[in-house]
Amino acid sequence: MKAASDRVREFENLALPLLDPLYNFARWLTYDTAEAEDLVQETFAKALRGFDAFTPGTDFRAWMFRILRNTFLTSRTGLQAKLTVPLDPEDEVSATVTWETPEVLALASATREALQDALAALPAAYREVVLLCDVEEMKYAEIAEVLQVPIGTVMSRLARGRKLLREALGGERHFVARKEANKRR
Amino acid sequence: MSCQDWQTRLEAYVDAELSPQEREAFLAHAAQCPECATATLALAEAKRAIRRTGRRYLAPAELRSRLLTDLRQTGANKTSEPHQPRLVHWPRQAMAAAALVLLAVGLFFLASQYRRPNSLGEFADLHVANLAGANPVEVVSSDRHTVKPWFQGRVPFTFDLPDLQGSPFTLTGGRVTYFHQEPGAQLIFGYQRHIISAFIFRDTPQLAITPTSFSDRSTSFNLQTWTQNGLRYVLVSDMNATTLGQLAELLQKN
Repeated sequence: MKAASDRVREFENLALPLLDPLYNFARWLTYDTAEAEDLVQETFAKALRGFDAFTPGTDFRAWMFRILRNTFLTSRTGLQAKLTVPLDPEDEVSATVTWETPEVLALASATREALQDALAALPAAYREVVLLCDVEEMKYAEIAEVLQVPIGTVMSRLARGRKLLREALGGERHFVARKEANKRR
Repeated sequence: MSCQDWQTRLEAYVDAELSPQEREAFLAHAAQCPECATATLALAEAKRAIRRTGRRYLAPAELRSRLLTDLRQTGANKTSEPHQPRLVHWPRQAMAAAALVLLAVGLFFLASQYRRPNSLGEFADLHVANLAGANPVEVVSSDRHTVKPWFQGRVPFTFDLPDLQGSPFTLTGGRVTYFHQEPGAQLIFGYQRHIISAFIFRDTPQLAITPTSFSDRSTSFNLQTWTQNGLRYVLVSDMNATTLGQLAELLQKN
Protein backbone atom coordinates (compact mmCIF):
# COMPACT_ATOMS: atom_id res chain seq x y z
CA MET A 1 0.00 0.00 0.00
CA LYS A 2 1.48 3.24 -1.10
CA ALA A 3 -1.57 5.44 -0.93
CA ALA A 4 0.13 8.11 1.16
CA SER A 5 3.17 8.50 -1.06
CA ASP A 6 0.87 8.41 -4.08
CA ARG A 7 -0.93 11.25 -2.46
CA VAL A 8 2.33 13.22 -2.34
CA ARG A 9 3.01 12.41 -5.96
CA GLU A 10 -0.50 13.50 -6.79
CA PHE A 11 0.12 16.78 -5.03
CA GLU A 12 3.41 17.14 -6.85
CA ASN A 13 1.73 16.63 -10.23
CA LEU A 14 -0.83 19.27 -9.47
CA ALA A 15 1.40 21.78 -7.74
CA LEU A 16 4.66 21.78 -9.70
CA PRO A 17 3.16 23.19 -12.90
CA LEU A 18 2.04 26.13 -10.75
CA LEU A 19 5.52 26.84 -9.45
CA ASP A 20 6.39 29.55 -11.97
CA PRO A 21 3.04 31.36 -11.72
CA LEU A 22 3.13 31.19 -7.92
CA TYR A 23 6.70 32.42 -7.78
CA ASN A 24 5.93 35.23 -10.21
CA PHE A 25 2.98 36.28 -8.07
CA ALA A 26 5.10 36.05 -4.92
CA ARG A 27 7.75 38.28 -6.47
CA TRP A 28 5.16 40.90 -7.37
CA LEU A 29 3.84 40.79 -3.83
CA THR A 30 7.18 40.92 -2.02
CA TYR A 31 9.61 42.56 -4.48
CA ASP A 32 12.27 40.36 -2.99
CA THR A 33 13.87 37.19 -4.31
CA ALA A 34 14.60 35.53 -0.99
CA GLU A 35 11.26 36.45 0.47
CA ALA A 36 9.42 35.20 -2.60
CA GLU A 37 11.29 31.90 -2.42
CA ASP A 38 10.43 31.47 1.25
CA LEU A 39 6.84 32.35 0.55
CA VAL A 40 6.54 29.75 -2.20
CA GLN A 41 8.26 27.11 -0.12
CA GLU A 42 5.98 27.78 2.83
CA THR A 43 2.97 27.70 0.52
CA PHE A 44 3.96 24.28 -0.81
CA ALA A 45 4.55 22.94 2.69
CA LYS A 46 1.22 24.26 3.96
CA ALA A 47 -0.67 23.06 0.91
CA LEU A 48 0.78 19.55 1.17
CA ARG A 49 -0.09 19.38 4.86
CA GLY A 50 -3.61 20.53 4.11
CA PHE A 51 -3.98 18.60 0.87
CA ASP A 52 -6.57 16.28 2.43
CA ALA A 53 -8.79 19.30 2.95
CA PHE A 54 -8.64 20.09 -0.75
CA THR A 55 -11.80 18.92 -2.50
CA PRO A 56 -10.84 17.03 -5.65
CA GLY A 57 -12.33 18.51 -8.76
CA THR A 58 -12.48 22.02 -7.35
CA ASP A 59 -10.08 24.72 -8.43
CA PHE A 60 -6.63 23.66 -7.28
CA ARG A 61 -4.94 26.75 -8.72
CA ALA A 62 -7.23 29.13 -6.81
CA TRP A 63 -6.61 27.04 -3.69
CA MET A 64 -2.82 27.34 -4.03
CA PHE A 65 -2.93 31.06 -4.77
CA ARG A 66 -5.19 31.55 -1.77
CA ILE A 67 -2.72 29.79 0.51
CA LEU A 68 0.16 31.83 -0.90
CA ARG A 69 -1.70 35.08 -0.47
CA ASN A 70 -2.82 34.28 3.07
CA THR A 71 0.72 33.28 3.97
CA PHE A 72 1.94 36.55 2.52
CA LEU A 73 -0.61 38.61 4.45
CA THR A 74 0.62 37.18 7.75
CA SER A 75 4.27 37.87 6.88
CA ARG A 76 5.98 41.07 7.92
CA THR A 77 6.00 42.58 4.44
CA GLY A 78 2.42 41.51 4.03
CA LEU A 79 1.30 43.19 7.23
CA GLN A 80 3.03 46.37 6.13
CA ALA A 81 1.42 46.18 2.70
CA LYS A 82 -1.97 45.66 4.29
CA LEU A 83 -1.58 48.85 6.28
CA THR A 84 -0.81 50.90 3.22
CA VAL A 85 -3.82 49.60 1.29
CA PRO A 86 -6.64 52.09 1.26
CA LEU A 87 -10.06 50.77 2.15
CA ASP A 88 -12.23 50.25 -0.88
CA PRO A 89 -14.93 52.87 -0.67
CA GLU A 90 -16.11 51.95 -4.15
CA ASP A 91 -16.45 48.29 -3.32
CA GLU A 92 -20.15 48.69 -2.80
CA VAL A 93 -20.59 50.75 -5.91
CA SER A 94 -20.78 48.73 -9.09
CA ALA A 95 -17.77 49.16 -11.36
CA THR A 96 -18.56 52.25 -13.35
CA VAL A 97 -16.14 52.46 -16.23
CA THR A 98 -14.59 55.79 -16.94
CA TRP A 99 -11.96 55.09 -19.55
CA GLU A 100 -11.03 56.88 -22.73
CA THR A 101 -9.69 54.95 -25.71
CA PRO A 102 -6.54 57.14 -26.07
CA GLU A 103 -5.75 56.47 -22.43
CA VAL A 104 -6.14 52.74 -22.97
CA LEU A 105 -3.91 52.89 -26.02
CA ALA A 106 -1.30 54.78 -24.02
CA LEU A 107 -1.20 51.84 -21.63
CA ALA A 108 -1.07 49.32 -24.45
CA SER A 109 1.86 51.07 -26.08
CA ALA A 110 3.76 51.94 -22.91
CA THR A 111 7.27 50.58 -22.64
CA ARG A 112 7.76 47.49 -20.57
CA GLU A 113 9.74 49.48 -17.99
CA ALA A 114 7.06 52.12 -17.64
CA LEU A 115 4.34 49.52 -17.28
CA GLN A 116 6.45 47.58 -14.81
CA ASP A 117 6.91 50.67 -12.65
CA ALA A 118 3.25 51.53 -12.84
CA LEU A 119 2.26 48.00 -11.82
CA ALA A 120 4.74 48.04 -8.96
CA ALA A 121 3.40 51.40 -7.79
CA LEU A 122 -0.20 50.17 -7.62
CA PRO A 123 -1.54 49.63 -4.11
CA ALA A 124 -1.26 45.92 -3.35
CA ALA A 125 -5.03 45.36 -3.25
CA TYR A 126 -5.35 46.50 -6.85
CA ARG A 127 -2.08 45.05 -8.09
CA GLU A 128 -2.98 41.53 -7.03
CA VAL A 129 -6.36 41.64 -8.77
CA VAL A 130 -4.87 42.98 -11.99
CA LEU A 131 -2.15 40.32 -11.89
CA LEU A 132 -4.57 37.48 -11.23
CA CYS A 133 -6.90 38.62 -14.00
CA ASP A 134 -4.51 39.74 -16.71
CA VAL A 135 -1.40 37.69 -16.01
CA GLU A 136 -2.85 34.47 -14.59
CA GLU A 137 -5.99 34.91 -16.68
CA MET A 138 -8.24 33.80 -13.89
CA LYS A 139 -11.98 34.20 -14.16
CA TYR A 140 -13.60 36.73 -11.83
CA ALA A 141 -15.10 33.84 -9.85
CA GLU A 142 -11.68 32.25 -9.44
CA ILE A 143 -10.15 35.52 -8.24
CA ALA A 144 -13.03 35.90 -5.79
CA GLU A 145 -12.10 32.47 -4.44
CA VAL A 146 -8.43 33.41 -4.08
CA LEU A 147 -9.21 36.66 -2.28
CA GLN A 148 -12.29 35.37 -0.45
CA VAL A 149 -14.34 38.39 -1.45
CA PRO A 150 -17.54 38.76 -3.51
CA ILE A 151 -17.24 38.88 -7.31
CA GLY A 152 -18.52 42.47 -7.28
CA THR A 153 -15.52 43.48 -5.21
CA VAL A 154 -13.21 41.75 -7.67
CA MET A 155 -14.77 43.65 -10.53
CA SER A 156 -14.63 47.05 -8.87
CA ARG A 157 -11.05 46.56 -7.70
CA LEU A 158 -10.08 45.42 -11.19
CA ALA A 159 -11.74 48.43 -12.81
CA ARG A 160 -10.12 50.75 -10.29
CA GLY A 161 -6.69 49.11 -10.61
CA ARG A 162 -6.74 49.36 -14.37
CA LYS A 163 -7.87 52.95 -14.17
CA LEU A 164 -4.96 53.79 -11.87
CA LEU A 165 -2.58 52.11 -14.32
CA ARG A 166 -3.96 54.10 -17.21
CA GLU A 167 -3.71 57.32 -15.25
CA ALA A 168 -0.11 56.53 -14.36
CA LEU A 169 0.79 55.85 -17.97
CA GLY A 170 -1.34 58.38 -19.75
CA GLY A 171 1.25 61.04 -18.81
CA GLU A 172 2.78 63.75 -20.89
CA ARG A 173 3.62 61.64 -23.89
CA HIS A 174 -0.06 61.21 -24.60
CA PHE A 175 -1.14 64.57 -23.40
CA VAL A 176 -2.01 65.73 -26.90
CA ALA A 177 -4.15 62.71 -27.62
CA ARG A 178 -6.05 63.23 -24.40
CA LYS A 179 -6.55 66.91 -24.99
CA GLU A 180 -8.01 66.11 -28.37
CA ALA A 181 -10.30 63.57 -26.84
CA ASN A 182 -11.45 66.12 -24.29
CA LYS A 183 -12.12 68.66 -27.01
CA ARG A 184 -14.32 66.18 -28.80
CA ARG A 185 -16.55 65.72 -25.79
CA MET B 1 -28.67 47.41 -25.36
CA SER B 2 -27.45 50.84 -26.26
CA CYS B 3 -23.89 51.76 -27.06
CA GLN B 4 -23.51 53.36 -23.66
CA ASP B 5 -24.65 50.19 -21.92
CA TRP B 6 -22.12 48.19 -23.92
CA GLN B 7 -19.33 50.55 -22.93
CA THR B 8 -19.61 49.28 -19.37
CA ARG B 9 -19.35 45.67 -20.57
CA LEU B 10 -16.30 45.95 -22.81
CA GLU B 11 -13.83 44.97 -20.11
CA ALA B 12 -15.99 42.00 -19.22
CA TYR B 13 -15.91 41.00 -22.89
CA VAL B 14 -12.14 41.32 -23.03
CA ASP B 15 -11.86 39.27 -19.83
CA ALA B 16 -14.06 36.60 -21.48
CA GLU B 17 -16.67 37.03 -18.77
CA LEU B 18 -19.72 37.56 -20.97
CA SER B 19 -22.25 34.78 -21.31
CA PRO B 20 -22.40 33.22 -24.81
CA GLN B 21 -25.63 35.10 -25.53
CA GLU B 22 -24.21 38.39 -24.34
CA ARG B 23 -21.07 37.79 -26.35
CA GLU B 24 -23.04 37.16 -29.49
CA ALA B 25 -25.12 40.28 -28.94
CA PHE B 26 -21.98 42.28 -28.29
CA LEU B 27 -20.25 41.04 -31.44
CA ALA B 28 -23.32 41.99 -33.44
CA HIS B 29 -23.19 45.44 -31.89
CA ALA B 30 -19.43 45.83 -32.41
CA ALA B 31 -19.83 44.97 -36.09
CA GLN B 32 -22.02 48.08 -36.38
CA CYS B 33 -20.15 50.33 -33.97
CA PRO B 34 -16.57 51.30 -34.81
CA GLU B 35 -16.27 53.13 -31.50
CA CYS B 36 -16.97 50.05 -29.42
CA ALA B 37 -14.86 47.90 -31.73
CA THR B 38 -11.85 50.23 -31.47
CA ALA B 39 -12.21 50.53 -27.72
CA THR B 40 -12.43 46.75 -27.37
CA LEU B 41 -9.31 46.24 -29.42
CA ALA B 42 -7.50 48.85 -27.33
CA LEU B 43 -8.61 47.18 -24.09
CA ALA B 44 -7.49 43.79 -25.38
CA GLU B 45 -4.10 45.24 -26.30
CA ALA B 46 -3.78 46.83 -22.89
CA LYS B 47 -4.57 43.49 -21.28
CA ARG B 48 -1.91 41.82 -23.40
CA ALA B 49 0.62 44.49 -22.46
CA ILE B 50 -0.06 43.92 -18.77
CA ARG B 51 0.22 40.16 -19.28
CA ARG B 52 3.57 40.51 -21.05
CA THR B 53 4.93 42.76 -18.34
CA GLY B 54 3.41 40.83 -15.47
CA ARG B 55 4.83 37.48 -16.53
CA ARG B 56 8.24 38.41 -15.47
CA TYR B 57 9.82 36.10 -12.95
CA LEU B 58 10.65 32.42 -13.31
CA ALA B 59 11.19 30.30 -10.24
CA PRO B 60 14.93 29.77 -9.68
CA ALA B 61 16.15 26.24 -10.37
CA GLU B 62 17.36 25.82 -6.75
CA LEU B 63 13.89 26.56 -5.46
CA ARG B 64 12.42 23.92 -7.73
CA SER B 65 14.93 21.29 -6.65
CA ARG B 66 14.53 22.26 -3.00
CA LEU B 67 10.77 21.81 -3.26
CA LEU B 68 11.22 18.48 -5.03
CA THR B 69 13.56 17.26 -2.31
CA ASP B 70 11.05 18.32 0.35
CA LEU B 71 8.24 16.55 -1.45
CA ARG B 72 10.24 13.37 -2.03
CA GLN B 73 11.20 13.30 1.63
CA THR B 74 7.61 13.65 2.73
CA GLY B 75 6.65 10.98 0.23
CA ALA B 76 9.31 8.60 1.55
CA ASN B 77 8.25 9.19 5.14
CA LYS B 78 4.69 8.48 4.29
CA THR B 79 5.58 5.27 2.46
CA SER B 80 6.94 3.86 5.68
CA GLU B 81 3.55 4.24 7.30
CA PRO B 82 2.13 0.96 5.97
CA HIS B 83 4.55 -0.83 8.30
CA GLN B 84 2.47 0.42 11.16
CA PRO B 85 -0.10 -2.24 11.95
CA ARG B 86 -3.16 0.01 11.98
CA LEU B 87 -2.92 0.63 8.26
CA VAL B 88 -2.68 -3.07 7.51
CA HIS B 89 -6.12 -3.52 8.99
CA TRP B 90 -7.59 -0.83 6.82
CA PRO B 91 -7.13 -1.90 3.24
CA ARG B 92 -10.60 -0.76 2.35
CA GLN B 93 -9.97 2.79 3.50
CA ALA B 94 -6.66 2.79 1.67
CA MET B 95 -8.38 1.61 -1.46
CA ALA B 96 -11.02 4.27 -1.06
CA ALA B 97 -8.25 6.84 -0.71
CA ALA B 98 -6.55 5.51 -3.84
CA ALA B 99 -9.86 5.65 -5.68
CA LEU B 100 -10.28 9.25 -4.59
CA VAL B 101 -6.81 10.07 -5.83
CA LEU B 102 -7.62 8.44 -9.16
CA LEU B 103 -10.85 10.39 -9.31
CA ALA B 104 -8.97 13.58 -8.55
CA VAL B 105 -6.38 12.85 -11.22
CA GLY B 106 -9.14 12.04 -13.68
CA LEU B 107 -11.02 15.20 -12.88
CA PHE B 108 -7.86 17.19 -13.11
CA PHE B 109 -7.08 15.84 -16.55
CA LEU B 110 -10.64 16.40 -17.60
CA ALA B 111 -10.41 19.97 -16.37
CA SER B 112 -7.14 20.49 -18.20
CA GLN B 113 -8.67 19.11 -21.38
CA TYR B 114 -11.36 21.73 -21.12
CA ARG B 115 -8.80 24.37 -20.48
CA ARG B 116 -6.65 23.54 -23.48
CA PRO B 117 -8.71 25.25 -26.16
CA ASN B 118 -8.03 28.41 -24.16
CA SER B 119 -4.36 28.18 -24.89
CA LEU B 120 -5.30 27.78 -28.54
CA GLY B 121 -7.49 30.82 -28.04
CA GLU B 122 -4.40 32.64 -26.86
CA PHE B 123 -2.81 31.94 -30.22
CA ALA B 124 -5.80 33.54 -31.88
CA ASP B 125 -5.23 36.57 -29.62
CA LEU B 126 -1.57 36.59 -30.52
CA HIS B 127 -2.43 36.42 -34.22
CA VAL B 128 -4.79 39.40 -33.95
CA ALA B 129 -2.63 41.45 -31.61
CA ASN B 130 0.53 40.98 -33.65
CA LEU B 131 -1.18 41.85 -36.90
CA ALA B 132 -2.76 44.90 -35.31
CA GLY B 133 0.59 46.11 -34.00
CA ALA B 134 2.72 48.77 -35.60
CA ASN B 135 5.16 46.21 -37.06
CA PRO B 136 3.14 43.15 -37.96
CA VAL B 137 6.03 41.76 -39.98
CA GLU B 138 9.65 42.20 -38.94
CA VAL B 139 11.24 40.47 -41.89
CA VAL B 140 9.30 41.19 -45.04
CA SER B 141 10.17 38.72 -47.73
CA SER B 142 8.51 36.10 -49.84
CA ASP B 143 11.83 34.28 -50.14
CA ARG B 144 12.08 31.41 -47.72
CA HIS B 145 15.87 31.62 -47.96
CA THR B 146 15.66 35.14 -46.52
CA VAL B 147 13.03 34.50 -43.90
CA LYS B 148 14.50 31.34 -42.42
CA PRO B 149 18.06 32.68 -41.83
CA TRP B 150 16.61 35.89 -40.36
CA PHE B 151 15.47 33.86 -37.34
CA GLN B 152 19.02 32.70 -36.61
CA GLY B 153 19.95 33.90 -33.15
CA ARG B 154 16.47 35.29 -32.65
CA VAL B 155 14.75 32.05 -31.71
CA PRO B 156 16.40 29.11 -29.93
CA PHE B 157 15.66 26.56 -32.66
CA THR B 158 15.59 26.21 -36.40
CA PHE B 159 12.92 25.01 -38.78
CA ASP B 160 12.38 24.41 -42.46
CA LEU B 161 10.13 26.33 -44.75
CA PRO B 162 8.34 24.65 -47.64
CA ASP B 163 8.65 25.61 -51.27
CA LEU B 164 5.36 27.32 -52.00
CA GLN B 165 5.83 27.37 -55.78
CA GLY B 166 2.70 26.05 -57.40
CA SER B 167 0.67 26.28 -54.21
CA PRO B 168 -2.03 28.91 -53.62
CA PHE B 169 -0.13 30.23 -50.60
CA THR B 170 2.43 32.99 -50.46
CA LEU B 171 4.96 33.81 -47.78
CA THR B 172 4.69 37.38 -46.51
CA GLY B 173 7.36 37.34 -43.85
CA GLY B 174 7.92 36.67 -40.21
CA ARG B 175 8.50 38.05 -36.77
CA VAL B 176 9.64 36.98 -33.35
CA THR B 177 6.86 36.47 -30.86
CA TYR B 178 6.50 35.24 -27.31
CA PHE B 179 4.17 32.75 -25.72
CA HIS B 180 4.38 32.02 -22.01
CA GLN B 181 7.84 33.62 -21.91
CA GLU B 182 9.11 31.38 -24.72
CA PRO B 183 10.46 33.07 -27.82
CA GLY B 184 9.09 31.65 -31.04
CA ALA B 185 8.68 32.35 -34.72
CA GLN B 186 5.55 33.71 -36.30
CA LEU B 187 5.44 33.19 -40.04
CA ILE B 188 2.87 35.12 -41.99
CA PHE B 189 1.38 33.53 -45.06
CA GLY B 190 -1.15 34.85 -47.49
CA TYR B 191 -3.97 33.06 -49.25
CA GLN B 192 -5.94 35.35 -51.53
CA ARG B 193 -6.78 38.15 -49.09
CA HIS B 194 -6.58 35.98 -46.01
CA ILE B 195 -3.71 36.18 -43.59
CA ILE B 196 -2.45 33.05 -41.88
CA SER B 197 -0.11 33.00 -38.92
CA ALA B 198 2.08 29.98 -38.38
CA PHE B 199 3.48 29.98 -34.86
CA ILE B 200 6.47 27.79 -34.14
CA PHE B 201 7.66 27.22 -30.58
CA ARG B 202 9.75 24.66 -28.80
CA ASP B 203 7.32 21.96 -27.68
CA THR B 204 6.96 22.34 -23.93
CA PRO B 205 4.48 20.57 -21.66
CA GLN B 206 2.49 23.81 -21.38
CA LEU B 207 1.99 23.63 -25.12
CA ALA B 208 0.66 20.07 -25.07
CA ILE B 209 -2.57 20.83 -26.88
CA THR B 210 -4.77 17.83 -27.56
CA PRO B 211 -7.32 18.86 -30.16
CA THR B 212 -5.34 19.17 -33.36
CA SER B 213 -7.81 21.50 -34.95
CA PHE B 214 -10.08 23.92 -33.28
CA SER B 215 -12.58 26.55 -34.28
CA ASP B 216 -12.83 29.39 -31.85
CA ARG B 217 -16.51 30.09 -32.15
CA SER B 218 -16.31 33.28 -30.14
CA THR B 219 -13.86 34.79 -32.61
CA SER B 220 -14.52 32.48 -35.59
CA PHE B 221 -10.84 31.77 -36.07
CA ASN B 222 -9.70 28.37 -37.22
CA LEU B 223 -6.65 26.82 -35.64
CA GLN B 224 -4.60 23.74 -36.36
CA THR B 225 -1.72 22.42 -34.37
CA TRP B 226 0.79 19.60 -34.47
CA THR B 227 4.28 18.78 -33.32
CA GLN B 228 7.20 17.97 -35.53
CA ASN B 229 10.89 17.55 -34.69
CA GLY B 230 10.30 18.72 -31.12
CA LEU B 231 8.56 21.89 -32.32
CA ARG B 232 4.98 22.91 -31.80
CA TYR B 233 3.27 24.40 -34.83
CA VAL B 234 0.05 26.37 -34.55
CA LEU B 235 -1.75 27.77 -37.59
CA VAL B 236 -4.29 30.53 -37.04
CA SER B 237 -6.46 32.09 -39.65
CA ASP B 238 -9.93 33.27 -40.47
CA MET B 239 -9.94 30.83 -43.42
CA ASN B 240 -11.83 27.56 -43.54
CA ALA B 241 -10.29 24.52 -41.92
CA THR B 242 -9.80 22.61 -45.18
CA THR B 243 -7.63 25.24 -46.85
CA LEU B 244 -5.76 25.71 -43.61
CA GLY B 245 -5.13 21.97 -43.63
CA GLN B 246 -3.46 22.29 -47.04
CA LEU B 247 -0.92 24.72 -45.65
CA ALA B 248 -0.42 22.43 -42.66
CA GLU B 249 0.38 19.59 -45.06
CA LEU B 250 2.90 21.71 -46.94
CA LEU B 251 4.63 22.62 -43.71
CA GLN B 252 4.61 19.03 -42.52
CA LYS B 253 6.29 17.78 -45.70
CA ASN B 254 9.61 19.18 -44.55
